[in-house]
Amino acid sequence: MAEFKDAPAGASVGVKTMTWLENRFPTAFDAYKVHMSEYYAPKNFNWWYIFGSLALLVLVIQIVTGIFLVMHYKPDANLAFASVEYIMRDVPWGWLVRYMHSTGASAFFVVVYLHMYRGLIYGSYRKPRELVWIFGCAIFLCLMAEAFMGYLLPWGQMSYWGAQVIVNLFAAVPFIGPDLALMIRGDFVVSDATLNRFFSFHVIAVPLVLLGLVVAHLLALHDVGSNNPDGVEIKKHKDPKTGIPLDGVPFHPYYTVHDIYAVSLFLLVFCAIVFFAPEMGGYFLEFNNFIPADPLKTPAHIAPVWYFTPFYSMLRATTADFMPFFWAFFGAVGLITVRRSSLPALFRVGYWGLMAVLFFAFNVHGIALGWMGVELPNALQGADAKFWGVVVMGGAVVILFFLPWLDASPVKSIRYRPDWHKYVYGVFVFVFCVLGYYGVQIVTPAGTLISQVGTLIYLGFFLLMPWWSRLGEFKTPPERVNFAAH
Amino acid sequence: MSDVDNSKRTWMIATGCAGAVGGVAVAVPFVKTFSPSERALAAGAAVEVDIGAMKPGEKLTVEWRGKPVWIVRRTPEQLAALKQTTPQVADPDSKRTAYPTPDYAKNEHRSIKPEYFVAVGICSHLGCSPSDKFQTGAQPSLPDDWNGGFLCPCHGSTFDLAGRVFKNKPAPDNLEVPPHMFLSDTRLLIGEDKKA
Amino acid sequence: MKKIIASLLTGLALVSGAHAAGGGVAWDRFPTEKMSDMAALQNGAKLFANYCLNCHSASFHRYNRLREIGLSEQQIKDNLMFATQKVGDTMKAALDPKEAKDWFGATPPDLTLVARSRADGSKGTGADYLYTLWRSYYRDDTKATGWDNLAFPSIGMPHVLWELQGERKPLFEERESHGHKEQVFSGKWAVVKAGALTPQQYDSAVGDLVAYLTWMAEPVRTQRFNLGVWVLVFLGVFSVFAWRLNAAFWKDVK
Repeated sequence: MAEFKDAPAGASVGVKTMTWLENRFPTAFDAYKVHMSEYYAPKNFNWWYIFGSLALLVLVIQIVTGIFLVMHYKPDANLAFASVEYIMRDVPWGWLVRYMHSTGASAFFVVVYLHMYRGLIYGSYRKPRELVWIFGCAIFLCLMAEAFMGYLLPWGQMSYWGAQVIVNLFAAVPFIGPDLALMIRGDFVVSDATLNRFFSFHVIAVPLVLLGLVVAHLLALHDVGSNNPDGVEIKKHKDPKTGIPLDGVPFHPYYTVHDIYAVSLFLLVFCAIVFFAPEMGGYFLEFNNFIPADPLKTPAHIAPVWYFTPFYSMLRATTADFMPFFWAFFGAVGLITVRRSSLPALFRVGYWGLMAVLFFAFNVHGIALGWMGVELPNALQGADAKFWGVVVMGGAVVILFFLPWLDASPVKSIRYRPDWHKYVYGVFVFVFCVLGYYGVQIVTPAGTLISQVGTLIYLGFFLLMPWWSRLGEFKTPPERVNFAAH
Repeated sequence: MSDVDNSKRTWMIATGCAGAVGGVAVAVPFVKTFSPSERALAAGAAVEVDIGAMKPGEKLTVEWRGKPVWIVRRTPEQLAALKQTTPQVADPDSKRTAYPTPDYAKNEHRSIKPEYFVAVGICSHLGCSPSDKFQTGAQPSLPDDWNGGFLCPCHGSTFDLAGRVFKNKPAPDNLEVPPHMFLSDTRLLIGEDKKA
Repeated sequence: MKKIIASLLTGLALVSGAHAAGGGVAWDRFPTEKMSDMAALQNGAKLFANYCLNCHSASFHRYNRLREIGLSEQQIKDNLMFATQKVGDTMKAALDPKEAKDWFGATPPDLTLVARSRADGSKGTGADYLYTLWRSYYRDDTKATGWDNLAFPSIGMPHVLWELQGERKPLFEERESHGHKEQVFSGKWAVVKAGALTPQQYDSAVGDLVAYLTWMAEPVRTQRFNLGVWVLVFLGVFSVFAWRLNAAFWKDVK
């Protein structure tokens, strides 16, 4: 009680109440200072910096609409589809809650992809923010799991068969695969057991993990301070008297009002979709999902939801014939990146040892012999291409975690890199979109070839980054941020 | 300086008010999702009963909104007995409001037509369903001058043939009279009346 | 920065509408003006109750919702409900699903959402499909039902509206394709037997039925649009306020 502060004499009720609270819950008041009123963010944020706040908004939207949906949804294979139509028709305003949740799911990925792209172009993952980036990648993984499990819940044709296909992928893992798939499903095929456990994960388990990760992500960020489009560390130049970064403005009120404006624009787009095009041409609410799940009838065309399609494309592109080229690709990476790197010799030797192991694991020997007309017995062949497809798809996401250590550029932000680096990023985005497009189409030889090339470009962007990110003429980043008063 | 402060204040007030309006506008649909759905309303819809075959002294039970609803075709003797029970019941004029009695049942026989008595068969004490005790005269748990009515087995509350609770019984209220109306002489609709 | 956006847009331009595999001919455009025509929707409801509800359910749709297309509860009870059902009940088929499976080989699917589930990004809306389907039947004695359909080859459902349309024969023409000749539907029909309605009346009746099915698949659609306009107007105004508020604060930042 000795540290209690007194309110000034004659203070208003409001001030007295706040003093009472501050004496008993100083953590909350300190947190407000640390994270809002005295968190100094760079003043030169541009529109790329809005997507983090928007992601938080969409998370709240999904949780609130989710809570209201769970009041009426029935997680039972016989009742689930009907309960969704019950929400759409019989529950007053249920249709609005449902459309907000389905649009929010797609909006989440639009926002998160743009948020990650901002990190990519401005070097937000670099020292000292590597952990912020790692928490973010973990959030991305959880988000993918959350969306995948949520999509099973309406129990439509696409829900059922999409889940069936993806869970069967886990069966491709050598040795433990079939048991793993059985444990995930809780049954021999996707069934009521699967639905109930996915419901539990989607409604409570993964959201709790997501919330924890988001808190960690924000705390880690606030500990080191935000990056900015110029890549300048604003903490290097502080006011000698106050200790406040010269290029910083307090998050509250400057970025709170800025975020309110951005949120209103986001909600304009969001509500336009919710009220005028919630199906979005079959991309946000797939047409096939208006048919109840039928375990005996596979739809002519199964495709995952649009936000998974780039990774799905990479999965399908990994065919048996592709494996030798894939192995050769890793060889090229080794020659270009690993050989000249400053990594310890043991690592470089280990890399070539791994290449030798992969030669057999990828079944390059089996396929090469096959081209020459020799068929090896199964026991002598490497793992199925189906397994490597899963590895490639998973690897394409996991590689993001390593970005802070792959980037060897002397400057953080793309603004001060050689101009041609911008084309490299452009190609990366283009390839990501092309992979996404082919993920929705049926399998064709041309599509497979393009997806294979795209997969190698996607992986090459990251694996060759230690090499290409150092090439070219770099500009000197400024000491202070570029800011035009407005 | 004051211009800057004024403009901040102006727009803070404008945004604040608009935000409050928007907030309420978003909250309203979500709160409305709590109200009974079309399915609940359909399940709770009015029930039509054919009373054409009822004999005097007969009792029918139908279900409405999950509750038993009794229809009793009272005999002239049973109607006459109501005059004798009026001084013995706690709320002879059905003035209590816990289970409001519809205006058309605020009479001695507590019904639209004296012959046909309609009531929810749930004791107003703690929710048990009372048993029929139409036989007059002394019986176990009933007084010697019993004129016919209902006895609740759970805690002994008794009701006369107009569903009115006797004095000094655990149950505080008369049996509830649900909204009802006659579609014809032989068709009774329970759950709706002309006011609805 | 601009180069990145340009590359992004080029990539996105390649993405087209969601695609589902489908057989059959190209789909005609459903006359969407019927969606705001109460008389058309009511006629469609009558056709649906008379021709479809015998075998197909619309088990997510309640009879009393038909009040929204201008019918009174009494009209619904008198004209559209046949079994001993209540007006708040859902529209269940007269036929028992197990018996249907015995007789037809498959349970006739529920039709509440058929207008939403049959859409195909590259071919058209579900309404387009249904409008084409009911105008593409022709006799084919090699099929169990005696009928086939250009929009859904080997369809298991007979032409239940044959009394209204009569019988037509599609005219094919030979076309060269990839170096070989094949028979392609020319778009024209030859009348074999006239039905109770003229071709224009029949097309209009099918349009009414499809309008009803489209309405039934999402009855809240019109309210959704109407409310959406107000929401966007409000958000537009709010955005202006938020924009000025933002500017008022950032004026101070040098």
